[in-house]
Amino acid sequence: MPELRKDPIIGRWVIISTDRAKRPDQFAAQQEEPPEKTCHFCEGNESQTPPEIYAIRPRRTPANSPGWDLRVVPSIAPFLRIEGDLERRGKGLYDLMAGIGAHEVIVETNQHIANIADLSEEQITKVITCYVDRIVDLGKDSRFKYVLVFKNYGWTAGGGRTKHSKSQLIATPVTPKRVKEELVGAHKYYEYHERCVFCDLVKQELASKDRVILDIDGFIAVTPFAPRFPFEVWIMPKKHSCDFINLEMGMRLDLARIIKKVLLKLKKGLNDPPYNYILHTAPFRRPKAGYWKSIDYDYHWHIEIMPRLTRVAGFEWGTGFYICPLPPEDAAKFLRETEV
Amino acid sequence: MSELRRDPIVGRWVIVDTDHPNRPEDFEFEPPAWRGGICPFCYSNESLTPPEIDSIRDSGTAPNTPGWQVRVVPNKFPALQIEGDLDRRGLGIYDMSNGIGAHEVLIETPYHHKDMPDLMNEEIEKIISMCCKRALDLIKDKRLKYIMVFKNYGPAAGASLEHPHTQLIALPMVPKNVMEEIRGAQEYFGYRERCLFCDMIRQEKEEKERIIVENKYFVSFCPFVSRFPFEIWIVPKKHNSYFCHMPPEEIPALAVMLKDIITRVKKIFPNAAYNFIIHSSPINGDDGIEGYHWHLEFMPKLMRVAGLEWGSGFYVVPTPPELAAKYLREV
Repeated sequence: MPELRKDPIIGRWVIISTDRAKRPDQFAAQQEEPPEKTCHFCEGNESQTPPEIYAIRPRRTPANSPGWDLRVVPSIAPFLRIEGDLERRGKGLYDLMAGIGAHEVIVETNQHIANIADLSEEQITKVITCYVDRIVDLGKDSRFKYVLVFKNYGWTAGGGRTKHSKSQLIATPVTPKRVKEELVGAHKYYEYHERCVFCDLVKQELASKDRVILDIDGFIAVTPFAPRFPFEVWIMPKKHSCDFINLEMGMRLDLARIIKKVLLKLKKGLNDPPYNYILHTAPFRRPKAGYWKSIDYDYHWHIEIMPRLTRVAGFEWGTGFYICPLPPEDAAKFLRETEV
Repeated sequence: MSELRRDPIVGRWVIVDTDHPNRPEDFEFEPPAWRGGICPFCYSNESLTPPEIDSIRDSGTAPNTPGWQVRVVPNKFPALQIEGDLDRRGLGIYDMSNGIGAHEVLIETPYHHKDMPDLMNEEIEKIISMCCKRALDLIKDKRLKYIMVFKNYGPAAGASLEHPHTQLIALPMVPKNVMEEIRGAQEYFGYRERCLFCDMIRQEKEEKERIIVENKYFVSFCPFVSRFPFEIWIVPKKHNSYFCHMPPEEIPALAVMLKDIITRVKKIFPNAAYNFIIHSSPINGDDGIEGYHWHLEFMPKLMRVAGLEWGSGFYVVPTPPELAAKYLREV
């Protein structure tokens, strides 16, 4: 009998097919992708991108020249623009505002390597530091409410035509809906229980162990109880913290280690699947009417990794009700046992 | 400057690229590729499906034999099962339930290669009537709280079989997106005592720029807050909460509209996969649903949905709906 499961945070129901569970090798192969273009993210091609916003240059080489470990540039095709006023307005029953925001590309290595899983732990630590620095910097602009950091790896996951490891971030003048739902869900739980829902979740997962993939150095990687996708993985700090920017220096290498391990397990176990990952962190907390003060207590930052092995069809779009063809307990077991 | 637009129903913000809008030829999409093999939905292969639940067939032909025009069968690999009691329970901080529900497949035509634009109006009317009939039958099961009718056409849209078919899923709870939409509509109704969708039709008819076509009973337009390029809504002009309570005289008008819309989309994107979903009110509940208005949402599958959309619920729409509507009107 299949099961229906409810996400305790935002209330999303998913269907878990327990008795026609698919094995990893039963998922269809990747679709064809177009030929690769010459890479403007490689060292030596700095002039092919817009001027850099941020870089880690250990030898203090000049901006937009070779000699960097990591580089952040504005997106060539930005979704949002940095200049201008928000101009919030109504149009009959509709609401709109100008598309103000930032859209940046984080080039994670000077080598032409596609998957962040193949970078060294030290290099991934630099990527984490860059995320923190960019979020802090964009937070100085009071027009922005949220910075969303995400990665599209592989063509079907929305990745680009150059296979060079990168992530993206957008700073938005509104808190995105999906983030707000999570914040509201966590807040409601906190109001009643006076405990963080994510801390409770970590505790329950560590006790049952069924869905735990890794438990190392202050972080855990689990498959969520109500996943939207097969092999969806969440990485969470065990110690409560609402905001990613407060991640101590000493913890960054530990986070890099668990990210690398999980992504390598996915790569090895599932034949290098396309995936997305998204950093879920608290919005900027500026004193403003209607903002609850308990967000420091009720929210808990984490990273959600979603391999793209199934297609999302009409049913999922229409209902927000996902059909997950593999129980997360089986997915966790498979990933636990995948040696990397 | 691009625009951020807020959906008045669920409060979702989307980014609309009004600066450098994509033209139809700017989209890359997968050409259809199918597995081939024996089709369980073709004539004479009736024994390859579970026994039929209902059909419209020539008089004198027996169930599960050829001679049908529209045939409804249980899904061979159902996401939900109809037998058993609903068992909701907790597991620590988690909530769960067993998978009670119904999952039916409506085979639209005996012809393997005919999509809706290739069918006669009368054939499409039969498909719509059968959807209503099945929904009215499933409503009788008090365990069920929502019925969703949807179609996946083409592999990129999630269809696993080529033979044209629509699906019905009946669920024991109201899904999240639907709940948000109902709540949004009810809030609007509670304050203004007017239906949000009726107001939307009024505004669209005044502004005209997002309208594609209209007939006596239906209007189609690209919504102001589209999530996808070339997204289209077909909305009944007369307020009605339930799709399956559609008056008989509206069925031919919907058939004509649906055929017209899909024909237009296929002229612009000859190989496009698509989904459509009928949004209707929850069933067997105590909630007042007078503020909700059923409609059909049609989404051609032209883009890859990436991390941003998943993580934030923030969709990037590269073709403004005003421009998409213009293309669709003029094709």
